Amino acid sequence: MLELIDLAKRYGPVVALDGATFTAAPGRILGFLGPNGAGKTTAMRCIFGLARPDRGEVRWDGRPVDRDTRLRFGYMPEQRGLYPRMRVGEQVSYFAQQHGLTRRDADAAATRWLERLGLADRSRAKLEELSHGNQQRVQLAVALVHEPELLVLDEPFSGLDPIGTATMSEVIRERTAAGVGVVFSSHQLDLVEDLCEDVVIIARGRIVAEDTIDALRIGSGRRHLEVEVVGSGASWLDGYTSVTVLARDGDRVKLLVDASVDLDGLLVRARAAGEVIRFAYQPPRLSELFMEAVTTTTTDTPGAAA
Amino acid sequence: MSRWRSIRLVARREIIERGRSRGFVLSVAFTTLLVIASMIVPSILFRDDGETMVGVVEPSPAGLVAVLEASGTAIGRTMVIVPYPDDTSADAALAAGEVPLVVRVPADLSTSGEIRFQERVDDTLVHLVTSSVIGLRMSTLLTESGIPPAELVAVQESPTVVTIVDVAERDDSTFLLANIGAVLILVGVFGFGFTVLTGVVEEKQSRVVEVVLATVRARDLLMGKVLGIGILGLVQLLVFVLAALVTASVTGEFGLPTITPGMVILLVIWFVLGYALYATALGFLGALASRMEEASNASTPVTVIAMVSYFVAIFAVTNDPAGLVAQVATYLPVSAPFVVPLRAAFDAIGPIEIVLSMAVTLAGIWVLFTIGARIYAGAVLQSASRMRIRDAWRAAGE
Repeated sequence: MLELIDLAKRYGPVVALDGATFTAAPGRILGFLGPNGAGKTTAMRCIFGLARPDRGEVRWDGRPVDRDTRLRFGYMPEQRGLYPRMRVGEQVSYFAQQHGLTRRDADAAATRWLERLGLADRSRAKLEELSHGNQQRVQLAVALVHEPELLVLDEPFSGLDPIGTATMSEVIRERTAAGVGVVFSSHQLDLVEDLCEDVVIIARGRIVAEDTIDALRIGSGRRHLEVEVVGSGASWLDGYTSVTVLARDGDRVKLLVDASVDLDGLLVRARAAGEVIRFAYQPPRLSELFMEAVTTTTTDTPGAAA
Repeated sequence: MSRWRSIRLVARREIIERGRSRGFVLSVAFTTLLVIASMIVPSILFRDDGETMVGVVEPSPAGLVAVLEASGTAIGRTMVIVPYPDDTSADAALAAGEVPLVVRVPADLSTSGEIRFQERVDDTLVHLVTSSVIGLRMSTLLTESGIPPAELVAVQESPTVVTIVDVAERDDSTFLLANIGAVLILVGVFGFGFTVLTGVVEEKQSRVVEVVLATVRARDLLMGKVLGIGILGLVQLLVFVLAALVTASVTGEFGLPTITPGMVILLVIWFVLGYALYATALGFLGALASRMEEASNASTPVTVIAMVSYFVAIFAVTNDPAGLVAQVATYLPVSAPFVVPLRAAFDAIGPIEIVLSMAVTLAGIWVLFTIGARIYAGAVLQSASRMRIRDAWRAAGE
């Protein structure tokens, strides 16, 4: 279990983290979301001691994280970086050894992971000779090669093609199934929605939402409703104030409704206007939950949305 | 995992990656060739192996060969006498450069004969042969007059040469050796110190340092880097020295300074100390820059200090190896690596002073590394274009 407790960090006048607290559980995938500059990367760097928080601490299984603990973590930084002129196989093995593996085990693990990621034949090539996508795969191999108990991936999907994205998702799922805790940040919310059970949303250095996606959906005050009443357009809604019309296409209307809205009453009203051929009630998408969370931070207290 | 293993892995990576790079292999090969060439070529061009060839036209007076050899020995030369049957063959040999001169003295010593050169007259050889011929003729004359040969030998003894002040040996060869040492240390500091600098900048620029520092302490990364590149530098130095020794032993002695094992060990120790000091400084200064051009700017103060130290050693210290400047420079870590081997070559420094100077330099390296490692840690993860030392210091300490 990874715990970030009350992390605060300033860079001069810029507040990067302002009392951020959240946890990541083993065997689960945590999507770490937030607009640019919200503090995601700083929080991740704090986990690896690459940034020193002004306040707060990072714990692993209840104890403060130190260098020995970090050897059991895997990290893929947002700004990718490896040795350009070092051979791929030796490079992956080098990082495995730096995580405590013997040279022999490290070589074997490097071979295994490069094979797994489809780079077996490029093992002796220099990194700079590889395509951008393949360099990304090597970066992932470096993060995974020592079989970490926690994976922290900063924007792992950025710059990947659909095949790369599929491989990345597959590896993340597979690692999670093996009991590894995965924390990853991403702006591709559809991917996050597919992949994650848990999400943490950060804005202006504070955590504004932390829960499972399902719980966030239930907790959200908004619902989507798509209704089609033959021959009546949106007129059946006249005078009804607790819904907002998002879009209208002929008789089909997309509505934003409050969770407290009496759906039965709404359906009765629609039927009274004509034949109802569609009445689809949908929970909000993650992107909407995200927008909702980050735009209301001024009034929210940290973690209040959870 | 122990820190030492982590440092060792960093060092090992540097050695393997740089050791097999074409640049390093070429530079070792090139310098080795340069050493060998610089030793062999002069020995071929200016063959001075203490042997002097002297052509003698036969028939020659009895005893001439013995006298020539004896006078040669007196000034530390081996005279190799080459006999020729007549003037024609002797002149031909002279023209062909087989011998530098030919001596023709009638067998009966009736005249003082001739000393023939091809073009240029060698005064030393003229004196040598002249005195031999005169001596031989005098001896023959006096022997015929009935003076006992033993007395003749006694009066022909050369005067003993002495100097009033017994100055320590300070000939050209010592100077040459000391200079080569200073140059080697300068090359070590600059060549390999700057390899550390570029290595640090490259790691920062490629952002790999973020991945490395997620597991390796910044201090250990810097130390491993300095160590690994230093081992490569040492390998190059040893190849250099070995090439010189082998070449010297193969080509025979040809007036090259006699390299003592003590001198080599001292040179290696100061090479290591000088490198460690300057490479550490260049390493953390490199971390302040984000691009190579900035790094060379940042390193300017170090370059200047190293050059000044080198010139102090070359001019002030060789001029007066036991003087005040030399003594002060011995106890400054920045100049000691250049100054101490030079003073030792001139025999102008005692073992206690050397040990003390090493201790001071080691302490200097430790202090610099402690400060430098913190600045390095504070600076290497920042991507600001150019960091100030003060900001880096603070960034690491908060």
